[in-house]
Amino acid sequence: MRTNGRGLFLATVERPALIQETARQPMKILVPVKRVVDYNVKVRVKSDGTGVETAGVKMSMNPFDEIAVEEAVRLKEKGAATEIIAVSLGVAACQETIRTALAMGADRGILVESDVDLQPLAVAKMLKAIAEKEQPGLIILGKQAIDDDMSATGQMLAALLGWSQGTFASKVTIEGDSMTVIREVDGGLETVVLNLPAIITTDLRLNEPRYASLPNIMKARKKPIDTMKPADLGVDPTPRLTVVKVEEPAKRQAGKKVGSVAELVEKLRNEAKVI
Amino acid sequence: MFELSEEHRMLKELVAKFVDQELIPLERQVLAREAAGGKAGLSDAEEERILARCKELGLWSLDVPEELGGANLPTVALMAMNEELGRCAFPFTFPPDSPNLHMLMAVASPEQRTKYLEPYAAGTAKSAIAISEPGAGGDPAGMITRAVQDGSDWVINGRKIWVSRVPQADFIIVMARTGDGKRHEGVTAFIVEKGEPGFIIEREIAMIGGQRTYELVFEDCRIPGDRVLGAIGKGFAPMQLRLTVRRLQMGAWCTGMAVRALQMLCEHARQRVTFGAKLSERQAIQWWVAEAATKIHACRLMVMDAAAKNDAGKDVRTEASMIKVYATEMAQEIIDQSMQAHGAMGVTKEMPLQLMANKVRAMRVYEGPSEVHRMTIGKRVLDGKWSGIN
Repeated sequence: MRTNGRGLFLATVERPALIQETARQPMKILVPVKRVVDYNVKVRVKSDGTGVETAGVKMSMNPFDEIAVEEAVRLKEKGAATEIIAVSLGVAACQETIRTALAMGADRGILVESDVDLQPLAVAKMLKAIAEKEQPGLIILGKQAIDDDMSATGQMLAALLGWSQGTFASKVTIEGDSMTVIREVDGGLETVVLNLPAIITTDLRLNEPRYASLPNIMKARKKPIDTMKPADLGVDPTPRLTVVKVEEPAKRQAGKKVGSVAELVEKLRNEAKVI
Repeated sequence: MFELSEEHRMLKELVAKFVDQELIPLERQVLAREAAGGKAGLSDAEEERILARCKELGLWSLDVPEELGGANLPTVALMAMNEELGRCAFPFTFPPDSPNLHMLMAVASPEQRTKYLEPYAAGTAKSAIAISEPGAGGDPAGMITRAVQDGSDWVINGRKIWVSRVPQADFIIVMARTGDGKRHEGVTAFIVEKGEPGFIIEREIAMIGGQRTYELVFEDCRIPGDRVLGAIGKGFAPMQLRLTVRRLQMGAWCTGMAVRALQMLCEHARQRVTFGAKLSERQAIQWWVAEAATKIHACRLMVMDAAAKNDAGKDVRTEASMIKVYATEMAQEIIDQSMQAHGAMGVTKEMPLQLMANKVRAMRVYEGPSEVHRMTIGKRVLDGKWSGIN
């Protein structure tokens, strides 16, 4: 109880808690995970300029996808999800990436095996087909893969499914059939409320992914991984974009030290010719 | 071709992450303390936090059998994990530091299993082993500490040295002569508990590389008869059980140390310019890098080969000796070259290289000096006991 300025008592109305996180029918979460060059590796451009060298290079799960797996596991631990399915699309070795997700807490995996260079639209179409079959309440993706930095799959998938999307999420709260997502945008934070089912893409600050602990690594061995081909999902994965050329950024020239402001101005004018 | 299974590769990555994110960030503090005259290891508070993290991640009781609550990992997985651990400059091992485990498992009585082995395997009890004496180090069969039976008790008299982890140890395995036999014969293992009358910690000895060892005196140290570990007069062979896996583990640590030293060397050589050219463009450096990479590759294969054979139940004592010699010497050489390539910076106490150099220097001596291992290898080969040339 509190009083207004004139001494009248104002009743505080207890607002019913929105809807408990567990009130909604527990759902499945789908988490696509991409196998990329490890973030610690200093990438080298192939000598023919067709791409980045991946032979003999350490590969790992895309760090933003790790954040996606972590978020899914946390939602499951809170009782907001019943099952986490990790999906990876690409070469057979992507199974390792799925296994990492299983060791972090995902329940089962789906590998869509293809030797073709899979581009965002093809991946989004295949994920759509998987989503239609699995009927997840939520799909959490990394906001971008650190190899090609396309940042397109999540948005394309949302469009194809006709679902709401909360991209670049730094905080996610589920309230019944809807979800509040705080997004990192230029100049600040934007809060959006989405209806489920929905798509989230993860930003760096959403969470700090856990280590896969030793007992969980041992348990991951027993979790199932289904393998299929793009054709099983009715998708033609042929690339639509052509990479013309990949090259390293131009090398920076060594700097120079100048003795005085006059010398600096003189060099800017006559050597660099910028003023 | 040797390849780790997917699961073992993930375990190796777990340890790599643990080393990079939990241990290596502590090096700066450890080095600063050491430079100021303190010990070159974790403080009690740091250790407590790190051990709690290990427990959380399941990095605990790795080679302990499942019935004792451990992960029961095969040697290949353990070695892959230990290689990663080797990259950390200060001394650290996952609990329980387990060479005594194999000896206890082989010979402990049912009562001793409950009282000593189980808490040790669970990491709640710590242990040490006292073998060397002032007059018997690399040749432990020359020990003179003696235990005499008195009624149902045993009374131990003698002096032991270079014993690690003594202050923390809840119990110590003490090797002593009980019979008239020469050398390996007539040696018996006993369990002496912390604080037992007549068991005196004579002094602490600071070793290079951050370790501490202790000199112990047993002065009419009386212990009950049920502390005999294994058969009377037959303690020497079970004691050796702890050594093979330990030597492979040292090989894995050395590989990790050499990897770290070479990474540092390469990183520096790519940037450092002298006399108008990068170090990486100089043949002297390139040859060091080439030799170092080749030796790391060879050492890793030697360790993994011996580990796989050990898992298959084969006798790898000769291989373990080869690894002990090769690994410690190659790591010492690579660390030294990395220091040299770093110039004055390489010999500061701000860099972990000096700590690694001291650590590996000590490793050429403990668990059998290189020369004793060479002697053993030579003899086995000459006696036709090594399958590699048969």
